[in-house]
Amino acid sequence: MSPLSNISNDQLIEAYRNAVRSRTLDIKIVNSQRQGIIGFHVPSAGQEIIQVALGMLARREDIIFGYYRDLALLIQRGIPLDKIIDQLLGNKEDMQKGRQMPDHFSFKDYNFSSIQSPVGAHLPLAVGAAYMLKYKGREGIVIANFGDGATSTSDFHAAMNFAGVFNLKILFLCENNGWAISLPTEKQTKGEIYRKGEAYGIMGKRIDGNDLLSSINGITEAMNYIRDGKGPYILEAVTYRIGPHSTSDDTKKYRVDEITDGSEKDPIRRLENLLLSMGILDEGKISQIKADAKREMDEIVEERRKIGFPDRSTMFDDLYAETLWIQDEERRDML
Amino acid sequence: MSSKTMVQSMNEALYSMMAEDDDIILLGEDIGRDGGVFRVTDGLQAKYGENRVIDTPLNELGIVGMAIGMAMYGLKPIAEIQFQDFIFPAFDQIVNQMAKIRYRTGNQFQVPMVIRTPYGGGVKGGLYHSQSGESYFVHTAGLRVVTPSNPYDAKGLLVSSVRSGDPVIFLEPKRLYRSIKMEVPDSLYQIELGKARLLKEGRSISVITYGSMVPIVENVISKNNIDADILDLRTLLPMDLDAILKSVKKTGRVIIVHEAPRTLGLGAEISALISERAIEYLLSPIMRVTGPDIPFPYVNEEIYIPDEKRILAAINRAINY
Repeated sequence: MSPLSNISNDQLIEAYRNAVRSRTLDIKIVNSQRQGIIGFHVPSAGQEIIQVALGMLARREDIIFGYYRDLALLIQRGIPLDKIIDQLLGNKEDMQKGRQMPDHFSFKDYNFSSIQSPVGAHLPLAVGAAYMLKYKGREGIVIANFGDGATSTSDFHAAMNFAGVFNLKILFLCENNGWAISLPTEKQTKGEIYRKGEAYGIMGKRIDGNDLLSSINGITEAMNYIRDGKGPYILEAVTYRIGPHSTSDDTKKYRVDEITDGSEKDPIRRLENLLLSMGILDEGKISQIKADAKREMDEIVEERRKIGFPDRSTMFDDLYAETLWIQDEERRDML
Repeated sequence: MSSKTMVQSMNEALYSMMAEDDDIILLGEDIGRDGGVFRVTDGLQAKYGENRVIDTPLNELGIVGMAIGMAMYGLKPIAEIQFQDFIFPAFDQIVNQMAKIRYRTGNQFQVPMVIRTPYGGGVKGGLYHSQSGESYFVHTAGLRVVTPSNPYDAKGLLVSSVRSGDPVIFLEPKRLYRSIKMEVPDSLYQIELGKARLLKEGRSISVITYGSMVPIVENVISKNNIDADILDLRTLLPMDLDAILKSVKKTGRVIIVHEAPRTLGLGAEISALISERAIEYLLSPIMRVTGPDIPFPYVNEEIYIPDEKRILAAINRAINY
């Protein structure tokens, strides 16, 4: 029997499988970056559990404004792996035509908005989307994910204040992984992140983002509150960035890693132990899931690598509804 | 048709567009109950309700960011930034989000929105109610930048901006808000973006200008009987290159008049475009009459803003070169 009444064993196995697939892909991308196949990566390793929990509970009509470290969320959301890999490679099939760095996704068909590099800048946009839901009387809520560093930005505070004033259906989900590049959370803020909503009349709670059941319970409670029209909600999911900030970063300069891949505190290992103890999975099944994920990621990166890059002239497209003489002329002169 | 100020013609444009299209939403500081500090949105909240004419908290990045999110998801927001001088907290949202979302998502998302904002001096507004910041925005691909110079253009250009499907920075010359009255149709009409207007035709010199400087230029030319082309750009991004070159090739002499500071003002770009494409037609150096490279001074604003004397001196220098 599932430890949560509203979640079936199959859903728990699926969550575990997606967390493993995300971790496996993360490692595959980092290796591909070292080999020069993929240009850059911001690893999500360590944050898979809170992300799959969110992906399980977000509805189709909910609009997600993620950030660049949300790989497991994309996978749990059901975004096809080939579309994810195409973006990382910036190949011809990439929906964004190779214009953005890896991990800056946008999948409108899956109600997954657009990711930018400047930290926190999507939060006011999420407020606008939530206002649209309210104005149009549409179903659903908006979910905005961000890291602990984002809570220092002006965008975060503007978004929280506006969301409160307009009483919007929006979940602010802080994936507090302890680090903003080299800065630990205690140097980012003296306050508690989950209490930062208080100044704006927004409910908040802290949960263990490395524990699936705590994450599911916390998100369910927040979403019920929001869907009931009681107002916005901020969740602080405490997690840990197992890897570096990016493939250009080296954690040895500024910290001793507290959780490592596969160690007892690794959130995927914790879920594994839980499912083993509940008798939902056995060692054989776990090995199978990991081996399948490895094969799947190796195969798909190999397959998508064969696709060429976007035609060069497309770099001048999509600035405006109609092209201007300026880009037409530059295209003609440069190509 | 009746005689209207720019404030009235824009108010009318907003009123009629909102009646036609429920997706149009206004947001900004003091635009609802108060009708905007310049009264451009007067009466609109009473008509359309506070969910459509939104009084926002005092935060420009919040206003612009919220409008971007609305535009990505099907609405057509028109945001007001109370003074262009206050737009800078929203600069990241404008440059890194609003201008780039269509491009970076491979056209999955569009951002059909307008930021209306009063700009320019002449109302004793000092450093922070007088700036002409058009160059900041013209430097950013993905934006359109529009500035009207009279009540008729203000209405038609605003309608076209809202309907363009693109993000538009709509710069309103606040000094002209109520100083000019002219006949403006009551119904909605459009003025094509990217097209300049030849206000007056002449043979001896081209005076290229826009927005707040148009009336003073017209006055100088007519008062002194100068045989000049006067070109009102109306759209600053993209500029009407064809109209500029056509005029310059005819007259062979050109001065550019704008209120914004000289260094990297639009005059620099216009001058470069002419030099690249029509230098063989020129009979005199291209000259600029602009605001100086200093903050906008409170007491000396008449000296800051290009006046008849400076414009005439440049014209005479070019003609007598």
